[in-house]
Amino acid sequence: MKVREFAEQLNMEILTGQKGLEKDVMGMYICDLLSWVMSHASKGDAWITVHTHVNIVAVALLVDIPCIIIPEGIVVEEATLNKASEEDIAILRTSKTAYQIAYEAGKLL
Amino acid sequence: MRDLSLHLMDIIQNAITAKASKISILICADRESDLLEIAVKDNGIGMESDFLKDVANPFATTRDTRRIGLGIPLFEASANRASGELKVTSKKFVGTEVKANFKLSHIDRLPLGDLGQTMEGIILAWPDIEYDLTLDNKNVRFNFNSTDIKKRLGEVPITQFEVIKWIGEYVNDGVKTIFGGILYEILS
Repeated sequence: MKVREFAEQLNMEILTGQKGLEKDVMGMYICDLLSWVMSHASKGDAWITVHTHVNIVAVALLVDIPCIIIPEGIVVEEATLNKASEEDIAILRTSKTAYQIAYEAGKLL
Repeated sequence: MRDLSLHLMDIIQNAITAKASKISILICADRESDLLEIAVKDNGIGMESDFLKDVANPFATTRDTRRIGLGIPLFEASANRASGELKVTSKKFVGTEVKANFKLSHIDRLPLGDLGQTMEGIILAWPDIEYDLTLDNKNVRFNFNSTDIKKRLGEVPITQFEVIKWIGEYVNDGVKTIFGGILYEILS
């Protein structure tokens, strides 16, 4: 499923990365320890994290993560949005918790 | 904990519970040694040496005299995740110092967060305490001292809205000047 459709189906706000919306979402990964995500997430995973600093974009690029999902309506720094936009990584946001997002995504993916 | 300012807030609360009247905060980023150090020093009631041994263990004691909650253990865990460590030194009736260091470039090193907002929050909550904040990048230093500000303010209370807002902006300007381009999350 394309990131664009994924975001629409789960009713998520698209904060940045218009070009990234055409990438494919193949799975999901949830973790807040960046080094762990680097070594355990898989290519194509939509990644849920509460971190909003610019390193999340670096991790997404490294693992080939098409979109980062920010749960619970957390505010994302300008610098992170700019970097994600440059690198075509979509950042999506929703007021739901990671559990609720994963529960709904599980029915779609 | 999502950022270092939240940890700082926790440690400062410990100092206040320990009846400190002065709290000194030093944040030093040294790119050459790839090290970020945070030190919080207070002149509170301090801790007994047997209590100090177990200070980073949240399950060590549950007696009600315990004034340390999860603040220290969580701060230590954050430091450890970024190849750093935490040290607490304390002397009964003299004060306590909590020092944490982090590998500056480590991917799991938490970002600084909104230090200005943290200073605003603690000054509003406990305005009578003297806060001394120093930011250092080994070339340039920035200092904020609440007692100096109070002297300059004269009759105007430090908790007045405009003053608090100014303090937050002043601290964040300092963060930008000292740490811009040195901490990955602060743009120069």
